[in-house]
Amino acid sequence: MTAMMKFPSAKKMTLIAGAVVAINGFFPALWILFTSLKTESELMRLPITIWPAAPTLGNYTRVFVDQPIFLFMWNSFVVAVLSTLLCVTVSALAAYALVRLRIPAPNLILSVLLAVAMFPLISLMVPLFSVMRDLQLLNTWWALVFPYAVLSMPVCTLVLISFFQDIPRDLENAAMIDGCSRIGALWHVVIPLTAPGVFTAGILAFVNAWDEFLLALTLAPRVASRTLPVGITLYQGEFSFPWPIISAALIIAIVPICIIIAVFQERVVGGLTSGGVKG
Amino acid sequence: MTAKLSSLERSERRLGIALLAPAFALLAGVVLYPIYNLIRMSFSENKLTEPWLAKPWIGFENYAKAMGDERLWEATWHTLLYVIVTVPGAVALGLGLALLANQPFRVKWPVRLGLLLPWALPLVFAGLIFRWFFEYQQGLVNNALIWIGLSPVNWLTQEGPAFFAICVAIIWKTSSFAALVLLAGLQTIPKSLYEAAEVDGASKWQQFWEITLPMLKPAIIVALIFRTITAIQTFDIPKAMTDGGPGNATETLAMYIHKTTIDSLDFGYGSTLAVLMFIASAILTSIYLRHTRRDPSAGRH
Repeated sequence: MTAMMKFPSAKKMTLIAGAVVAINGFFPALWILFTSLKTESELMRLPITIWPAAPTLGNYTRVFVDQPIFLFMWNSFVVAVLSTLLCVTVSALAAYALVRLRIPAPNLILSVLLAVAMFPLISLMVPLFSVMRDLQLLNTWWALVFPYAVLSMPVCTLVLISFFQDIPRDLENAAMIDGCSRIGALWHVVIPLTAPGVFTAGILAFVNAWDEFLLALTLAPRVASRTLPVGITLYQGEFSFPWPIISAALIIAIVPICIIIAVFQERVVGGLTSGGVKG
Repeated sequence: MTAKLSSLERSERRLGIALLAPAFALLAGVVLYPIYNLIRMSFSENKLTEPWLAKPWIGFENYAKAMGDERLWEATWHTLLYVIVTVPGAVALGLGLALLANQPFRVKWPVRLGLLLPWALPLVFAGLIFRWFFEYQQGLVNNALIWIGLSPVNWLTQEGPAFFAICVAIIWKTSSFAALVLLAGLQTIPKSLYEAAEVDGASKWQQFWEITLPMLKPAIIVALIFRTITAIQTFDIPKAMTDGGPGNATETLAMYIHKTTIDSLDFGYGSTLAVLMFIASAILTSIYLRHTRRDPSAGRH
Protein backbone atom coordinates (compact mmCIF):
# COMPACT_ATOMS: atom_id res chain seq x y z
CA MET A 1 0.00 0.00 0.00
CA THR A 2 2.61 2.51 1.08
CA ALA A 3 4.66 1.54 -1.93
CA MET A 4 1.78 2.51 -4.22
CA MET A 5 1.27 5.83 -2.45
CA LYS A 6 4.90 6.74 -2.96
CA PHE A 7 5.76 9.80 -4.98
CA PRO A 8 7.07 9.25 -8.48
CA SER A 9 10.78 8.54 -8.52
CA ALA A 10 13.21 11.38 -7.86
CA LYS A 11 14.29 11.30 -11.47
CA LYS A 12 10.74 11.80 -12.69
CA MET A 13 10.13 14.57 -10.16
CA THR A 14 13.21 16.37 -11.43
CA LEU A 15 11.93 16.12 -14.96
CA ILE A 16 8.49 17.41 -13.99
CA ALA A 17 10.01 20.31 -12.07
CA GLY A 18 12.13 21.25 -15.05
CA ALA A 19 9.17 20.98 -17.41
CA VAL A 20 7.07 23.28 -15.24
CA VAL A 21 9.77 25.97 -15.26
CA ALA A 22 10.36 25.63 -19.00
CA ILE A 23 6.66 25.69 -19.88
CA ASN A 24 6.03 28.70 -17.64
CA GLY A 25 8.76 30.57 -19.46
CA PHE A 26 8.12 29.44 -23.01
CA PHE A 27 4.38 29.05 -23.19
CA PRO A 28 3.32 32.67 -23.81
CA ALA A 29 5.90 33.08 -26.57
CA LEU A 30 4.90 29.74 -28.10
CA TRP A 31 1.24 30.71 -28.03
CA ILE A 32 2.09 33.91 -29.91
CA LEU A 33 4.12 31.85 -32.39
CA PHE A 34 1.11 29.57 -33.03
CA THR A 35 -1.16 32.61 -33.39
CA SER A 36 1.20 34.17 -35.89
CA LEU A 37 1.01 31.07 -38.10
CA LYS A 38 -2.80 30.98 -38.24
CA THR A 39 -4.92 32.50 -40.92
CA GLU A 40 -7.39 35.22 -40.02
CA SER A 41 -10.32 32.92 -40.66
CA GLU A 42 -8.87 30.23 -38.42
CA LEU A 43 -8.53 32.79 -35.65
CA MET A 44 -12.22 33.69 -35.94
CA ARG A 45 -13.23 30.06 -35.51
CA LEU A 46 -14.69 29.04 -32.14
CA PRO A 47 -13.70 27.12 -30.16
CA ILE A 48 -10.17 28.25 -30.78
CA THR A 49 -7.57 25.90 -32.16
CA ILE A 50 -4.23 25.31 -30.53
CA TRP A 51 -2.06 24.13 -33.40
CA PRO A 52 -2.39 26.14 -36.60
CA ALA A 53 -4.50 23.96 -38.93
CA ALA A 54 -2.82 25.27 -42.06
CA PRO A 55 0.36 27.08 -41.04
CA THR A 56 0.97 30.17 -43.13
CA LEU A 57 3.63 32.82 -43.28
CA GLY A 58 1.12 35.33 -44.65
CA ASN A 59 1.04 37.33 -41.43
CA TYR A 60 4.79 37.79 -41.62
CA THR A 61 4.64 39.22 -45.10
CA ARG A 62 1.77 41.46 -43.97
CA VAL A 63 3.97 42.81 -41.16
CA PHE A 64 6.64 43.84 -43.63
CA VAL A 65 4.15 45.25 -46.10
CA ASP A 66 1.92 47.16 -43.67
CA GLN A 67 4.52 48.58 -41.33
CA PRO A 68 8.11 49.75 -41.70
CA ILE A 69 9.21 46.99 -39.34
CA PHE A 70 12.72 46.91 -40.77
CA LEU A 71 13.01 50.57 -39.92
CA PHE A 72 11.79 49.95 -36.34
CA MET A 73 14.30 47.15 -36.06
CA TRP A 74 17.09 49.30 -37.43
CA ASN A 75 16.23 52.09 -34.97
CA SER A 76 16.16 49.60 -32.09
CA PHE A 77 19.45 48.10 -33.20
CA VAL A 78 21.34 51.37 -33.65
CA VAL A 79 20.05 52.83 -30.39
CA ALA A 80 20.86 49.64 -28.48
CA VAL A 81 24.37 49.31 -29.95
CA LEU A 82 25.34 52.96 -29.46
CA SER A 83 23.97 53.14 -25.92
CA THR A 84 25.66 49.84 -25.04
CA LEU A 85 29.04 51.05 -26.27
CA LEU A 86 28.68 54.31 -24.39
CA CYS A 87 27.44 52.65 -21.22
CA VAL A 88 30.11 49.95 -21.09
CA THR A 89 32.96 52.38 -21.78
CA VAL A 90 31.85 54.85 -19.18
CA SER A 91 31.02 52.17 -16.59
CA ALA A 92 34.30 50.30 -17.13
CA LEU A 93 36.37 53.43 -16.56
CA ALA A 94 34.37 54.30 -13.46
CA ALA A 95 34.48 50.75 -12.08
CA TYR A 96 38.24 50.55 -12.60
CA ALA A 97 38.77 53.84 -10.81
CA LEU A 98 36.59 52.70 -7.93
CA VAL A 99 38.32 49.33 -7.52
CA ARG A 100 41.96 50.12 -8.23
CA LEU A 101 42.85 53.78 -8.02
CA ARG A 102 43.03 55.22 -4.55
CA ILE A 103 40.31 57.79 -4.89
CA PRO A 104 38.82 59.18 -1.71
CA ALA A 105 35.57 57.60 -0.43
CA PRO A 106 34.97 55.06 -3.24
CA ASN A 107 32.00 53.73 -1.34
CA LEU A 108 30.27 57.07 -1.22
CA ILE A 109 31.04 57.79 -4.87
CA LEU A 110 29.57 54.45 -5.92
CA SER A 111 26.43 55.11 -3.88
CA VAL A 112 25.99 58.54 -5.42
CA LEU A 113 26.53 57.13 -8.90
CA LEU A 114 23.95 54.38 -8.34
CA ALA A 115 21.44 56.68 -6.67
CA VAL A 116 21.58 59.26 -9.46
CA ALA A 117 21.51 56.67 -12.23
CA MET A 118 18.51 54.98 -10.60
CA PHE A 119 16.41 58.13 -10.63
CA PRO A 120 12.96 56.90 -11.66
CA LEU A 121 12.54 57.00 -15.43
CA ILE A 122 8.98 58.21 -15.20
CA SER A 123 10.07 61.32 -13.28
CA LEU A 124 12.99 61.83 -15.64
CA MET A 125 10.80 61.49 -18.71
CA VAL A 126 9.08 64.84 -18.14
CA PRO A 127 12.18 67.08 -18.05
CA LEU A 128 14.02 64.93 -20.61
CA PHE A 129 11.25 65.67 -23.06
CA SER A 130 11.69 69.42 -22.63
CA VAL A 131 15.51 69.21 -22.66
CA MET A 132 15.52 67.11 -25.85
CA ARG A 133 12.96 69.45 -27.34
CA ASP A 134 15.18 72.45 -26.65
CA LEU A 135 18.14 70.62 -28.17
CA GLN A 136 15.95 69.59 -31.12
CA LEU A 137 16.84 65.97 -30.49
CA LEU A 138 13.27 64.65 -30.19
CA ASN A 139 12.66 61.82 -32.64
CA THR A 140 16.37 61.17 -33.11
CA TRP A 141 18.49 58.23 -31.97
CA TRP A 142 20.43 60.51 -29.62
CA ALA A 143 17.34 61.28 -27.56
CA LEU A 144 17.41 57.62 -26.53
CA VAL A 145 21.12 56.72 -26.68
CA PHE A 146 22.20 58.93 -23.76
CA PRO A 147 19.34 58.05 -21.38
CA TYR A 148 19.71 54.34 -22.16
CA ALA A 149 23.41 54.49 -21.35
CA VAL A 150 22.45 55.85 -17.93
CA LEU A 151 19.67 53.29 -17.55
CA SER A 152 22.17 50.41 -17.64
CA MET A 153 24.96 52.15 -15.77
CA PRO A 154 24.13 50.67 -12.33
CA VAL A 155 24.09 47.04 -13.44
CA CYS A 156 27.12 47.45 -15.74
CA THR A 157 29.16 49.22 -13.07
CA LEU A 158 28.35 46.58 -10.47
CA VAL A 159 29.14 43.70 -12.84
CA LEU A 160 32.43 45.28 -13.88
CA ILE A 161 33.42 46.07 -10.29
CA SER A 162 33.02 42.42 -9.37
CA PHE A 163 35.14 41.38 -12.38
CA PHE A 164 37.89 43.93 -11.69
CA GLN A 165 38.06 42.77 -8.09
CA ASP A 166 38.96 39.29 -9.32
CA ILE A 167 42.08 40.42 -11.16
CA PRO A 168 45.17 40.11 -9.01
CA ARG A 169 46.81 43.48 -8.43
CA ASP A 170 50.23 41.83 -8.94
CA LEU A 171 49.55 41.27 -12.63
CA GLU A 172 49.15 44.97 -13.20
CA ASN A 173 52.08 45.83 -10.99
CA ALA A 174 54.22 43.41 -12.97
CA ALA A 175 53.16 45.05 -16.21
CA MET A 176 53.93 48.47 -14.77
CA ILE A 177 57.36 47.35 -13.57
CA ASP A 178 57.97 46.09 -17.12
CA GLY A 179 57.46 49.64 -18.27
CA CYS A 180 53.73 49.90 -18.94
CA SER A 181 51.93 53.02 -17.85
CA ARG A 182 48.78 52.73 -15.74
CA ILE A 183 46.63 53.16 -18.84
CA GLY A 184 48.90 50.72 -20.69
CA ALA A 185 48.41 48.16 -17.93
CA LEU A 186 44.66 48.74 -18.06
CA TRP A 187 44.59 48.26 -21.81
CA HIS A 188 47.04 45.33 -22.16
CA VAL A 189 46.42 43.40 -18.96
CA VAL A 190 43.17 44.31 -17.26
CA ILE A 191 40.84 44.70 -20.23
CA PRO A 192 41.78 41.35 -21.88
CA LEU A 193 41.32 39.60 -18.54
CA THR A 194 37.96 41.25 -17.93
CA ALA A 195 36.72 40.74 -21.48
CA PRO A 196 34.07 38.30 -20.21
CA GLY A 197 32.89 40.92 -17.72
CA VAL A 198 32.83 43.67 -20.30
CA PHE A 199 30.93 41.35 -22.59
CA THR A 200 28.40 40.40 -19.90
CA ALA A 201 27.83 44.06 -19.06
CA GLY A 202 27.37 44.75 -22.77
CA ILE A 203 24.72 42.05 -23.19
CA LEU A 204 22.74 43.32 -20.21
CA ALA A 205 22.91 46.90 -21.49
CA PHE A 206 21.85 45.77 -24.97
CA VAL A 207 18.82 43.87 -23.68
CA ASN A 208 17.79 46.80 -21.46
CA ALA A 209 17.96 49.18 -24.40
CA TRP A 210 16.21 46.80 -26.79
CA ASP A 211 13.33 46.39 -24.31
CA GLU A 212 12.79 49.98 -23.15
CA PHE A 213 9.38 51.43 -23.89
CA LEU A 214 8.47 54.52 -21.86
CA LEU A 215 11.27 56.83 -23.04
CA ALA A 216 11.06 55.53 -26.60
CA LEU A 217 7.35 56.28 -26.61
CA THR A 218 7.91 59.74 -25.19
CA LEU A 219 11.08 60.96 -26.87
CA ALA A 220 10.84 59.28 -30.29
CA PRO A 221 7.15 58.80 -31.09
CA ARG A 222 7.28 59.70 -34.78
CA VAL A 223 6.88 56.68 -37.05
CA ALA A 224 10.28 57.11 -38.69
CA SER A 225 12.09 57.10 -35.36
CA ARG A 226 10.11 54.45 -33.48
CA THR A 227 11.85 51.50 -31.91
CA LEU A 228 10.32 48.01 -32.04
CA PRO A 229 8.39 48.10 -28.73
CA VAL A 230 6.78 51.42 -29.66
CA GLY A 231 6.23 50.51 -33.29
CA ILE A 232 4.44 47.29 -32.41
CA THR A 233 2.39 48.67 -29.52
CA LEU A 234 1.15 51.62 -31.56
CA TYR A 235 0.29 49.30 -34.42
CA GLN A 236 -3.42 49.82 -34.68
CA GLY A 237 -5.68 48.28 -37.21
CA GLU A 238 -8.53 50.27 -38.57
CA PHE A 239 -11.15 48.94 -36.15
CA SER A 240 -9.51 46.38 -33.99
CA PHE A 241 -6.15 45.06 -33.02
CA PRO A 242 -4.98 42.74 -35.85
CA TRP A 243 -3.79 39.92 -33.61
CA PRO A 244 -2.26 37.57 -36.18
CA ILE A 245 -0.15 40.38 -37.60
CA ILE A 246 0.76 41.71 -34.15
CA SER A 247 1.80 38.18 -33.19
CA ALA A 248 4.04 37.90 -36.22
CA ALA A 249 5.58 41.27 -35.42
CA LEU A 250 6.16 40.21 -31.81
CA ILE A 251 7.92 37.04 -32.96
CA ILE A 252 10.13 39.05 -35.31
CA ALA A 253 10.98 41.44 -32.47
CA ILE A 254 11.81 38.80 -29.87
CA VAL A 255 13.87 36.48 -32.10
CA PRO A 256 17.05 38.60 -31.77
CA ILE A 257 16.67 38.73 -27.99
CA CYS A 258 16.02 34.96 -27.86
CA ILE A 259 19.18 34.29 -29.84
CA ILE A 260 21.23 36.52 -27.55
CA ILE A 261 19.99 34.91 -24.34
CA ALA A 262 20.25 31.41 -25.81
CA VAL A 263 23.86 31.88 -26.89
CA PHE A 264 25.00 33.76 -23.79
CA GLN A 265 22.67 32.29 -21.17
CA GLU A 266 25.32 31.53 -18.57
CA ARG A 267 26.83 34.99 -18.85
CA VAL A 268 23.47 36.69 -18.63
CA VAL A 269 22.48 34.75 -15.53
CA GLY A 270 25.87 35.35 -13.94
CA GLY A 271 25.80 39.04 -14.73
CA LEU A 272 22.25 39.57 -13.54
CA THR A 273 22.80 37.86 -10.25
CA SER A 274 26.18 39.46 -9.59
CA GLY A 275 24.67 42.87 -10.29
CA GLY A 276 21.61 42.13 -8.22
CA VAL A 277 22.62 40.00 -5.29
CA LYS A 278 26.24 40.61 -4.51
CA GLY A 279 26.07 44.08 -6.03
CA MET B 1 60.78 57.61 -0.19
CA THR B 2 57.49 58.62 1.41
CA ALA B 3 57.35 61.71 -0.76
CA LYS B 4 57.78 59.58 -3.88
CA LEU B 5 55.01 57.23 -2.78
CA SER B 6 52.62 60.06 -2.12
CA SER B 7 53.35 61.56 -5.52
CA LEU B 8 52.51 58.21 -7.07
CA GLU B 9 49.36 58.16 -4.99
CA ARG B 10 48.50 61.65 -6.08
CA SER B 11 48.90 60.77 -9.74
CA GLU B 12 46.75 57.68 -9.24
CA ARG B 13 44.12 59.78 -7.58
CA ARG B 14 44.18 62.25 -10.45
CA LEU B 15 43.79 59.42 -12.97
CA GLY B 16 40.96 57.96 -10.89
CA ILE B 17 39.07 61.21 -10.96
CA ALA B 18 39.68 61.50 -14.70
CA LEU B 19 38.26 58.00 -15.26
CA LEU B 20 35.19 58.80 -13.17
CA ALA B 21 34.59 62.04 -15.03
CA PRO B 22 32.80 60.61 -18.12
CA ALA B 23 30.30 58.73 -15.94
CA PHE B 24 29.50 61.82 -13.92
CA ALA B 25 29.37 64.02 -17.01
CA LEU B 26 26.79 61.65 -18.47
CA LEU B 27 24.81 61.66 -15.23
CA ALA B 28 24.95 65.43 -15.08
CA GLY B 29 23.59 65.79 -18.60
CA VAL B 30 20.96 63.06 -18.53
CA VAL B 31 19.82 63.19 -14.90
CA LEU B 32 21.00 66.18 -12.86
CA TYR B 33 20.32 68.98 -15.33
CA PRO B 34 16.88 67.55 -16.22
CA ILE B 35 16.09 67.25 -12.48
CA TYR B 36 16.94 70.93 -12.05
CA ASN B 37 14.57 71.66 -14.95
CA LEU B 38 11.94 69.39 -13.46
CA ILE B 39 11.93 71.15 -10.10
CA ARG B 40 11.84 74.58 -11.77
CA MET B 41 8.96 73.55 -14.03
CA SER B 42 7.01 72.13 -11.09
CA PHE B 43 6.71 75.65 -9.65
CA SER B 44 5.51 77.20 -12.88
CA GLU B 45 2.55 77.15 -15.16
CA ASN B 46 3.83 75.57 -18.34
CA LYS B 47 1.33 74.36 -20.89
CA LEU B 48 2.60 73.63 -24.36
CA THR B 49 -0.97 74.02 -25.56
CA GLU B 50 -0.81 77.66 -24.51
CA PRO B 51 2.61 78.77 -25.73
CA TRP B 52 1.70 82.45 -25.53
CA LEU B 53 1.78 82.25 -21.75
CA ALA B 54 5.23 83.09 -20.42
CA LYS B 55 5.45 80.05 -18.12
CA PRO B 56 4.81 82.18 -15.00
CA TRP B 57 6.21 81.19 -11.63
CA ILE B 58 3.26 80.17 -9.47
CA GLY B 59 4.96 78.86 -6.34
CA PHE B 60 3.29 75.92 -4.70
CA GLU B 61 0.05 76.25 -6.64
CA ASN B 62 0.66 73.01 -8.55
CA TYR B 63 1.43 71.19 -5.33
CA ALA B 64 -1.76 72.52 -3.74
CA LYS B 65 -3.66 71.38 -6.81
CA ALA B 66 -2.11 67.91 -6.49
CA MET B 67 -3.31 67.53 -2.92
CA GLY B 68 -6.90 68.03 -4.03
CA ASP B 69 -6.59 66.06 -7.29
CA GLU B 70 -8.87 63.08 -6.95
CA ARG B 71 -7.49 61.37 -10.05
CA LEU B 72 -3.99 61.57 -8.58
CA TRP B 73 -5.12 59.89 -5.38
CA GLU B 74 -6.90 57.21 -7.37
CA ALA B 75 -3.80 56.60 -9.47
CA THR B 76 -1.72 56.46 -6.29
CA TRP B 77 -4.13 53.97 -4.81
CA HIS B 78 -3.99 51.78 -7.95
CA THR B 79 -0.20 51.92 -7.93
CA LEU B 80 -0.18 50.89 -4.28
CA LEU B 81 -2.50 48.01 -5.06
CA TYR B 82 -0.16 46.83 -7.82
CA VAL B 83 2.74 47.03 -5.37
CA ILE B 84 0.85 45.15 -2.65
CA VAL B 85 -0.26 42.38 -5.01
CA THR B 86 2.58 41.99 -7.50
CA VAL B 87 5.62 42.40 -5.24
CA PRO B 88 4.89 39.44 -2.96
CA GLY B 89 3.23 37.64 -5.89
CA ALA B 90 6.26 37.86 -8.13
CA VAL B 91 8.70 36.95 -5.38
CA ALA B 92 6.55 33.99 -4.29
CA LEU B 93 6.24 32.70 -7.86
CA GLY B 94 9.94 33.39 -8.33
CA LEU B 95 10.73 31.36 -5.22
CA GLY B 96 8.62 28.49 -6.52
CA LEU B 97 10.37 28.58 -9.89
CA ALA B 98 13.79 28.82 -8.25
CA LEU B 99 13.07 25.79 -6.05
CA LEU B 100 11.89 23.81 -9.08
CA ALA B 101 14.90 24.92 -11.11
CA ASN B 102 17.41 24.08 -8.36
CA GLN B 103 17.78 20.43 -9.38
CA PRO B 104 20.63 18.46 -10.89
CA PHE B 105 19.30 18.52 -14.44
CA ARG B 106 21.35 16.67 -17.01
CA VAL B 107 20.32 19.13 -19.73
CA LYS B 108 20.36 22.58 -18.23
CA TRP B 109 19.40 24.93 -21.05
CA PRO B 110 15.60 24.45 -21.26
CA VAL B 111 15.21 25.37 -17.60
CA ARG B 112 17.66 28.25 -17.73
CA LEU B 113 16.07 29.67 -20.86
CA GLY B 114 12.65 29.17 -19.30
CA LEU B 115 13.77 31.45 -16.49
CA LEU B 116 15.49 33.94 -18.78
CA LEU B 117 12.90 34.40 -21.49
CA PRO B 118 10.30 36.31 -19.44
CA TRP B 119 13.10 38.53 -18.13
CA ALA B 120 14.38 39.27 -21.63
CA LEU B 121 10.96 40.02 -23.06
CA PRO B 122 10.06 43.73 -23.15
CA LEU B 123 7.44 44.51 -20.48
CA VAL B 124 5.17 45.98 -23.09
CA PHE B 125 5.29 42.75 -25.14
CA ALA B 126 4.33 40.77 -22.05
CA GLY B 127 1.40 43.17 -21.76
CA LEU B 128 0.40 42.59 -25.38
CA ILE B 129 0.67 38.81 -25.05
CA PHE B 130 -1.48 38.74 -21.94
CA ARG B 131 -3.97 41.11 -23.53
CA TRP B 132 -4.32 38.45 -26.20
CA PHE B 133 -4.70 35.73 -23.54
CA PHE B 134 -7.49 37.69 -21.83
CA GLU B 135 -9.22 38.72 -25.05
CA TYR B 136 -12.98 38.15 -24.77
CA GLN B 137 -13.76 35.92 -27.75
CA GLN B 138 -10.58 34.33 -28.99
CA GLY B 139 -8.56 34.63 -25.81
CA LEU B 140 -7.09 31.49 -24.33
CA VAL B 141 -8.39 32.20 -20.83
CA ASN B 142 -12.05 32.53 -21.77
CA ASN B 143 -11.87 29.52 -24.06
CA ALA B 144 -10.38 27.50 -21.22
CA LEU B 145 -13.19 28.72 -18.94
CA ILE B 146 -15.81 27.64 -21.50
CA TRP B 147 -14.07 24.31 -21.94
CA ILE B 148 -14.36 23.51 -18.22
CA GLY B 149 -18.00 24.65 -18.24
CA LEU B 150 -17.80 28.19 -16.89
CA SER B 151 -18.98 31.35 -18.59
CA PRO B 152 -16.51 33.75 -20.19
CA VAL B 153 -15.53 36.99 -18.45
CA ASN B 154 -15.10 40.46 -19.92
CA TRP B 155 -11.61 40.66 -18.50
CA LEU B 156 -10.28 43.94 -19.78
CA THR B 157 -13.41 46.08 -19.69
CA GLN B 158 -14.40 45.65 -16.04
CA GLU B 159 -12.53 47.14 -13.14
CA GLY B 160 -11.88 44.05 -10.98
CA PRO B 161 -11.11 41.56 -13.75
CA ALA B 162 -8.90 44.08 -15.56
CA PHE B 163 -6.88 44.63 -12.39
CA PHE B 164 -6.61 40.88 -11.93
CA ALA B 165 -5.48 40.29 -15.52
CA ILE B 166 -2.84 43.02 -15.30
CA CYS B 167 -1.52 41.60 -12.03
CA VAL B 168 -1.22 38.14 -13.60
CA ALA B 169 0.80 39.59 -16.48
CA ILE B 170 3.06 41.62 -14.17
CA ILE B 171 3.66 38.70 -11.84
CA TRP B 172 4.50 36.35 -14.72
CA LYS B 173 6.88 38.82 -16.31
CA THR B 174 8.67 39.99 -13.18
CA SER B 175 8.90 36.66 -11.35
CA SER B 176 11.70 35.51 -13.62
CA PHE B 177 14.18 38.07 -12.35
CA ALA B 178 13.23 37.17 -8.78
CA ALA B 179 13.68 33.50 -9.67
CA LEU B 180 17.18 34.10 -11.06
CA VAL B 181 18.23 36.04 -7.98
CA LEU B 182 16.74 33.43 -5.64
CA LEU B 183 18.23 30.53 -7.60
CA ALA B 184 21.68 32.10 -7.23
CA GLY B 185 20.93 32.37 -3.51
CA LEU B 186 19.81 28.74 -3.30
CA GLN B 187 23.01 27.57 -4.91
CA THR B 188 25.11 29.17 -2.18
CA ILE B 189 23.45 27.11 0.57
CA PRO B 190 25.92 24.35 1.57
CA LYS B 191 24.60 20.84 0.85
CA SER B 192 26.08 19.63 4.13
CA LEU B 193 23.35 21.49 6.02
CA TYR B 194 20.69 19.36 4.35
CA GLU B 195 22.70 16.18 4.84
CA ALA B 196 23.01 16.93 8.56
CA ALA B 197 19.28 17.66 8.78
CA GLU B 198 18.57 14.40 6.96
CA VAL B 199 20.63 12.50 9.50
CA ASP B 200 18.68 14.18 12.29
CA GLY B 201 15.46 12.97 10.66
CA ALA B 202 14.10 16.35 9.56
CA SER B 203 11.38 16.16 6.91
CA LYS B 204 11.69 18.01 3.58
CA TRP B 205 9.15 20.51 4.86
CA GLN B 206 11.14 21.15 8.05
CA GLN B 207 14.32 21.50 5.98
CA PHE B 208 12.62 24.16 3.87
CA TRP B 209 11.49 26.18 6.90
CA GLU B 210 14.57 25.68 9.04
CA ILE B 211 17.34 25.84 6.43
CA THR B 212 16.25 27.10 3.01
CA LEU B 213 14.15 30.09 4.01
CA PRO B 214 16.52 31.51 6.66
CA MET B 215 19.56 31.07 4.39
CA LEU B 216 17.69 32.62 1.50
CA LYS B 217 16.50 35.64 3.47
CA PRO B 218 19.10 38.12 2.10
CA ALA B 219 18.28 37.15 -1.50
CA ILE B 220 14.54 37.36 -0.80
CA ILE B 221 14.96 40.84 0.64
CA VAL B 222 16.95 42.00 -2.39
CA ALA B 223 14.29 40.56 -4.72
CA LEU B 224 11.48 42.21 -2.75
CA ILE B 225 13.12 45.63 -2.69
CA PHE B 226 14.13 45.50 -6.33
CA ARG B 227 10.62 44.49 -7.34
CA THR B 228 9.12 47.26 -5.21
CA ILE B 229 11.25 49.90 -6.90
CA THR B 230 10.10 48.74 -10.32
CA ALA B 231 6.49 48.18 -9.20
CA ILE B 232 5.92 51.78 -8.17
CA GLN B 233 6.89 52.77 -11.71
CA THR B 234 4.40 50.36 -13.32
CA PHE B 235 3.55 51.66 -16.76
CA ASP B 236 4.17 49.35 -19.72
CA ILE B 237 1.93 46.40 -18.91
CA PRO B 238 -1.30 48.29 -18.01
CA LYS B 239 -0.57 50.67 -20.89
CA ALA B 240 -0.51 47.74 -23.31
CA MET B 241 -3.43 45.85 -21.75
CA THR B 242 -6.03 48.49 -20.88
CA ASP B 243 -4.41 51.91 -21.37
CA GLY B 244 -5.71 52.66 -17.87
CA GLY B 245 -9.29 51.70 -18.62
CA PRO B 246 -12.12 51.11 -18.13
CA GLY B 247 -12.31 54.82 -17.34
CA ASN B 248 -9.29 55.38 -15.12
CA ALA B 249 -9.82 52.17 -13.17
CA THR B 250 -6.38 50.65 -13.83
CA GLU B 251 -4.42 53.86 -14.28
CA THR B 252 -1.11 54.05 -12.39
CA LEU B 253 0.80 57.13 -11.24
CA ALA B 254 3.25 56.71 -14.08
CA MET B 255 0.42 56.56 -16.63
CA TYR B 256 -1.23 59.63 -15.14
CA ILE B 257 2.04 61.57 -15.33
CA HIS B 258 2.54 60.46 -18.92
CA LYS B 259 -0.99 61.51 -19.87
CA THR B 260 -0.71 64.87 -18.13
CA THR B 261 2.58 65.81 -19.77
CA ILE B 262 2.78 64.06 -23.11
CA ASP B 263 -0.90 63.80 -24.07
CA SER B 264 -2.27 66.98 -22.44
CA LEU B 265 1.07 68.83 -22.67
CA ASP B 266 0.66 70.31 -19.17
CA PHE B 267 4.34 70.33 -18.19
CA GLY B 268 3.96 72.44 -15.07
CA TYR B 269 1.51 70.17 -13.32
CA GLY B 270 3.08 67.03 -14.81
CA SER B 271 6.43 68.09 -13.33
CA THR B 272 4.84 68.48 -9.92
CA LEU B 273 3.44 64.96 -10.16
CA ALA B 274 6.86 63.68 -11.25
CA VAL B 275 8.54 65.36 -8.27
CA LEU B 276 6.04 63.77 -5.88
CA MET B 277 6.61 60.42 -7.54
CA PHE B 278 10.37 60.84 -7.23
CA ILE B 279 10.14 61.55 -3.51
CA ALA B 280 8.17 58.36 -3.01
CA SER B 281 10.64 56.22 -4.93
CA ALA B 282 13.73 57.91 -3.44
CA ILE B 283 12.73 56.54 -0.07
CA LEU B 284 12.55 53.03 -1.50
CA THR B 285 15.77 53.37 -3.50
CA SER B 286 17.69 54.44 -0.41
CA ILE B 287 16.51 51.32 1.37
CA TYR B 288 17.69 49.25 -1.60
CA LEU B 289 21.11 50.88 -1.66
CA ARG B 290 21.55 50.35 2.05
CA HIS B 291 21.19 46.64 1.38
CA THR B 292 23.53 46.42 -1.58
CA ARG B 293 26.21 48.92 -0.64
CA ARG B 294 29.69 47.62 0.04
CA ASP B 295 33.22 48.88 -0.25
CA PRO B 296 34.25 48.40 -3.89
CA SER B 297 37.98 48.61 -3.10
CA ALA B 298 37.77 45.97 -0.37
CA GLY B 299 37.81 42.96 -2.69
CA ARG B 300 35.44 40.08 -2.63
CA HIS B 301 34.24 38.50 0.58
